Amino acid sequence: MKEFLHQFHLLRRMNWVMLLMIIGLIVVGVCFIYSATSMREDSTVDLYAKQIRWAIAGMVCYFGVTLFDYRRLRDVSWLFYFVALVLLVAVLFFGTRIYGAKRWLMFMGVGVQPSEIGKLAVIILSACLLSPAAEKFDRLPSFWRLFLLAGIPMALVMKEPDLGSALVYLPVVVAMLFVAGARIKPLVIIGASGMVGVLLVLAAVALPEQMGMSPEHQERFFQAIHLSEYQRNRIEVFLQPGKDPMGTGWNKRQSEIAVGSGGLTGKGFLSGTQNILGFLPRTVAPTDFIFSVITEETGFLGAVGVLTLYGGVIISGLYSAMMARDKMGRVLCVGIVMMVFTHAFVNMAMTIGVLPVVGIPLPLVSYGGTFMVITLFALGLIQSVYVRRPGL
Amino acid sequence: MAAGETILLELKRIRLVLIIMLGLLLLLTVMLFDLQVSRRPEFEASLHKQSVRRIRLPAPRGRIFDRNQKCLADNQPCYCLAFNLEDLRQPGRWKNTVAEVQRRIGLLKGLIGRKAIISEDDIWNHIRRRLPLPLVAWRSLDPAALARLSESSADMTGVEIYVEPNRVYPNGELAAHLLGYVGKTDFSGAEMPGFQYYLPEMDGKMGLERQYNKIMVGEPGEKLVRIDASGLKRAERMDKESQSGANVLLALDSRIQALAESAIKDVPGAVVVIDPNNGDVLALASSPTFNPNQLMPVFTKALWDQLNDDPGKPMLNKAVAEVYAPGSIFKPVTALAALNSGAVSAAATVDCPGYFMIGNKAMKCWNLNGHGVVDLRRGIEQSCNTYFITIGLKCGNEAISDLAKLFGLGEKTGIELDREASGVVPTPEWKQKYWHDDWRNGDTCNFSIGQGALAVTPLQMAVVAATLANGGAVYRPRLVLGLQDMQGNSLTNFSVTLVRHLPLAPEVVQLVRQGMHDVVMEPTGTGGRARIPGVEMAGKTGTAEYGEKEDRKKHGWMILFAPYDKPRYAVAMVVDDAVSGGFTVGPRLHQLMMGIFRVPDGQGEAGG
Repeated sequence: MKEFLHQFHLLRRMNWVMLLMIIGLIVVGVCFIYSATSMREDSTVDLYAKQIRWAIAGMVCYFGVTLFDYRRLRDVSWLFYFVALVLLVAVLFFGTRIYGAKRWLMFMGVGVQPSEIGKLAVIILSACLLSPAAEKFDRLPSFWRLFLLAGIPMALVMKEPDLGSALVYLPVVVAMLFVAGARIKPLVIIGASGMVGVLLVLAAVALPEQMGMSPEHQERFFQAIHLSEYQRNRIEVFLQPGKDPMGTGWNKRQSEIAVGSGGLTGKGFLSGTQNILGFLPRTVAPTDFIFSVITEETGFLGAVGVLTLYGGVIISGLYSAMMARDKMGRVLCVGIVMMVFTHAFVNMAMTIGVLPVVGIPLPLVSYGGTFMVITLFALGLIQSVYVRRPGL
Repeated sequence: MAAGETILLELKRIRLVLIIMLGLLLLLTVMLFDLQVSRRPEFEASLHKQSVRRIRLPAPRGRIFDRNQKCLADNQPCYCLAFNLEDLRQPGRWKNTVAEVQRRIGLLKGLIGRKAIISEDDIWNHIRRRLPLPLVAWRSLDPAALARLSESSADMTGVEIYVEPNRVYPNGELAAHLLGYVGKTDFSGAEMPGFQYYLPEMDGKMGLERQYNKIMVGEPGEKLVRIDASGLKRAERMDKESQSGANVLLALDSRIQALAESAIKDVPGAVVVIDPNNGDVLALASSPTFNPNQLMPVFTKALWDQLNDDPGKPMLNKAVAEVYAPGSIFKPVTALAALNSGAVSAAATVDCPGYFMIGNKAMKCWNLNGHGVVDLRRGIEQSCNTYFITIGLKCGNEAISDLAKLFGLGEKTGIELDREASGVVPTPEWKQKYWHDDWRNGDTCNFSIGQGALAVTPLQMAVVAATLANGGAVYRPRLVLGLQDMQGNSLTNFSVTLVRHLPLAPEVVQLVRQGMHDVVMEPTGTGGRARIPGVEMAGKTGTAEYGEKEDRKKHGWMILFAPYDKPRYAVAMVVDDAVSGGFTVGPRLHQLMMGIFRVPDGQGEAGG
């Protein structure tokens, strides 16, 4: 009984603003998954209903994790990390191939994306390793050790290949190190070299053709730098949008038209013509391009609404970080907020055509089971930190 | 570093992270504003361009009626069976959909009883070029096939029976040259700005269908179709209703037209009947003719070649587009010119020995025994060449050509038919220009008796006959009385056009009319074979050689007006390969006038 009262007491200390924002985003997601799929001929699969089930499962996790003391993660962080690594290796061998990439592991009919689990595992492990206050993280060995630990899953995700998800690791680890007190200079070097790396990839895709390399030589070159055709296409589309408007550039172009034609107030719920008429491909409308559907139907005002909800999640998440009772709590919250933010920002930016289409979902809104549960699990950890803040 | 300072540093950095994140969200907001508010028109235009198509809808075509509201050109519903590919789209490649359409065609073939008009290539073409429109597989379904379709239990998903207006000419060949025919409009993109698709439209290709095409076509309607990413129709909206075209009301009397056509049906030629009181064209026929219904909706190349290679030229409207030497039917004009010039008096006589000496060359009169002493009236009745050459030389070619032009010869009458010929009234200037030769007395002699370079159309001669009938008023032939809307309310009336009144003394005209009266009514008259009981008529026969001299081929002519006192009909008829005007044309005009005046068959004198 006492235990129950204690837990009730903990729940009353929750960050309610954050919970409201989360629920708001999930509701928006369910509504527009419904809209994005309502015109489908094969309406036997009601994706929105599935999403509701996943959201409920996710919320159960969320409250469960809230009650779980995040400090006890220290005991399982390494185990969790290795399980994630095993899954990431397994997916390369046993994964289901969709559109040329092996990203999914099937467990009893439920698809799981190990890359999502990997992100969370890296965040938890990093938070644990960074938390002993005595340790100096400006000492290079432990600094590089952390990058090595983050780099292994990142490399495995790249191998799937899933360039977008892999790149999310970088800002997350950098932000956690930054808040943990790392010296600015090595961080800037890491950040800068990351940027240079991305630029190099872009250049590698664009330059051979511009330098007049023959197709065979280009092929050999791309094989040498381990860049798949699929990745190359997406990057090329970003660099030269007009090159192939009916092929790989289609999604980007149609998404821009959907967003742009939405105007200030949008075309109304269930009235987004780009989606209804199938110009926005039905396979991606409820997932990676859900923001496109939302903005087409609700316009700029709706988009600002979604941005506000994310802003609320970020503010309350970082507020929780500041209120945390220990360093581990602070770093953990920053890592999770950064993960959610990076996903949201990159997804929305690619929807409006300012970043390449890298296939990153919009957290809590895009259709997708694993990602919904993992995101709610992670956000639950923030609540776990917040309810155990000092005071009262 | 103290623990407290470390915490402060961490909090500071968290705030920095927060500021960066909110800054990036703000940046996104600005970019969204740029996209959705500032650049919205640009994306709306792209959206419209890729998902909206404008279709042009033909309006109901105006019909053509004769003066008694009898329909000559009508629209008939043509039942078509079409497939809507929206409903037949199969998953996967288009190949599957094409196969499905072919399977449906196979299933329906038995019910309809004949092969579909489309091949696999046509289906592919339709998918590539006209996807949002229905794909027509059968045209002109008969009622039996429609009944079988409606009773059958076959799967009718995606099958649409729709009605396409078809032009029909209920009287077949009647007035074919006047009415013309229609074909399917062949739009090139430039002619149809703003439209991506169109439905078949009728376009006049000949005759009144062509001349009045703009009026009968009306205003096309517009339909907007929203298409999806694969190009199939998702929704449609009527943007503009079509405005039906106007009906055309003709002066033609289809009863007289039918009589006129039957009078020349067995020989190449033409006949025109005009009301001398106002110029109304009551009949205008050309032989041989064609059936415009066979030319629609599309004609076969074989039929087209057959029509064009026929030496009788069935597609040519000989009444307006062919010129002939008038021969003796021109003589009333010569007589009027001579009398009016004052060079010849009505009482003056000429002794005809059967020839006329011009220089040292003899010009034969058609009666080699000679007509003896003839005056004007007998000269016309007997069509004596010697008399007309004599008076022609007296008054001079200029007086004749001036009057001929006042009659409207040598220029188009302005009737609303295509390819009207103007004919030739020869003058010294004309001869100099085209033949590079001087005008000689021989030319005047030929001119006086309607030979030489003089060339006229049957319609022009009908106008001459009408002018002689009414005493000198030249009316412009009026083919169209007016326009009506679809309900038959009058929209426009075309007025009678008096071109001019000839500057001739009434007694002079009366003298010539008397001569023409005798041509038909006197027992010795050359046009006696045209006579009918109970109606006094006046006319003039003519014969003119054509083709190679040794073939000895002759056009037979006759102009006629009736009744003599108060003429209501003025007729001109020409036929190929005649013995003479009186012998060949006379009986045909007899048959025509018997019909026009409704004289019962048994009562008529035998045509010769």
